[in-house]
Amino acid sequence: MITRISDWLDTRIGWRQVWETVFLRKVPKVNWLYTLGSASVFVAINQIVTGILLTIYYVPTPDHAYDSVQYITTQVPAGWLIRGLHHWGASAMVVLVFLHMIRVIIYGAYKFPREITWMTGVILLLIVIGFGFTGYLLPWDQKAYWATIVGTKIAGTPPIIGDTILRIVRGGEELSAITLARFFGVHVWVLPVALLVLTGIHIFLVIKIGISAVPKRGE
Amino acid sequence: MVDEEKSLSRRAFLGFSTWIIGGILALGLFVPGLIYIVGPAFTQAKKEEWVRLGSTQKVEPGTPTLFTTTIEEQTGWITNEKELSVFVYTENNRDYIAMSNICTHLGCRVRWIANQEEFFCPCHNGVFDKEGNVVSGPPPRPLDQYEVKVEGNSIYIKVT
Repeated sequence: MITRISDWLDTRIGWRQVWETVFLRKVPKVNWLYTLGSASVFVAINQIVTGILLTIYYVPTPDHAYDSVQYITTQVPAGWLIRGLHHWGASAMVVLVFLHMIRVIIYGAYKFPREITWMTGVILLLIVIGFGFTGYLLPWDQKAYWATIVGTKIAGTPPIIGDTILRIVRGGEELSAITLARFFGVHVWVLPVALLVLTGIHIFLVIKIGISAVPKRGE
Repeated sequence: MVDEEKSLSRRAFLGFSTWIIGGILALGLFVPGLIYIVGPAFTQAKKEEWVRLGSTQKVEPGTPTLFTTTIEEQTGWITNEKELSVFVYTENNRDYIAMSNICTHLGCRVRWIANQEEFFCPCHNGVFDKEGNVVSGPPPRPLDQYEVKVEGNSIYIKVT
């Protein structure tokens, strides 16, 4: 039955060729460090699923942000688990993409012809850090509030334009409802779209160009 | 290397294991996710309490009298006041019935039309008599009643 359906689909859309290109492609003999990119994708999927679930109860206003997060954590069945997965997944994500980058640097995998893959990867690292920064504010507790005071102050340190940057990030002089709302908007709309587009390009290039082998001594 | 043709190849085994582990992980997220989404539908804390509506002297025999009262209601992380409107009816000043003003058809609020001696629901023309029985229109059952008790001069209803 399943074979018949997949045959039927294959004659029409040729999905087997895509499957073989993506998952059954030939790779050089590599080691476990080459799984860090896939691990990042895996955690990213976890973040997307749990993040969507959190928005079902979370309300991004100073009146309700803290209480709705407490409600998720203590009242909603499995809410502690969903929030916990998103919370720890965020840290795991930063660690994994960082290690992924270290591997690429040490093995020289950023060199010709993979420069574009590297550049999209650098932007993806910044996006992940952006996710961490904006997501940190959303629980609207003391830690979130003061961390964002400090973080936005740091954004305001460049000479001349610093104050303007600070105002744009905060949406005004003070950290306020506007800040919370825009951090939420960036966290759930802007960054996810950017992440999906760039991850798409990044993975397309990995498959198109192929991955680099472990460099040999003296290379 | 005994009978490698018949036994599971390393490649097939790893492919199979990937599907199994992936399936378990997906299920491990899907099931809690589902519980998380439907949870609040089934975890409303039901509490019962007697609420004082007002004095029996306000109720004129033969005419439903409207009482309003507020109860505290916990929805999610918000506690808010909910207004209850209840019609109290008696014929003899001994036996009281308390009816909800919520139409049993689709939840609009009924009002008492004094000169016709009927409850009327403006949404779909549901009509109830003074004891809440359906006279005409689409309502499937009489107006819902609260359990009533009278202590001294006060009328209480049981809110669940």
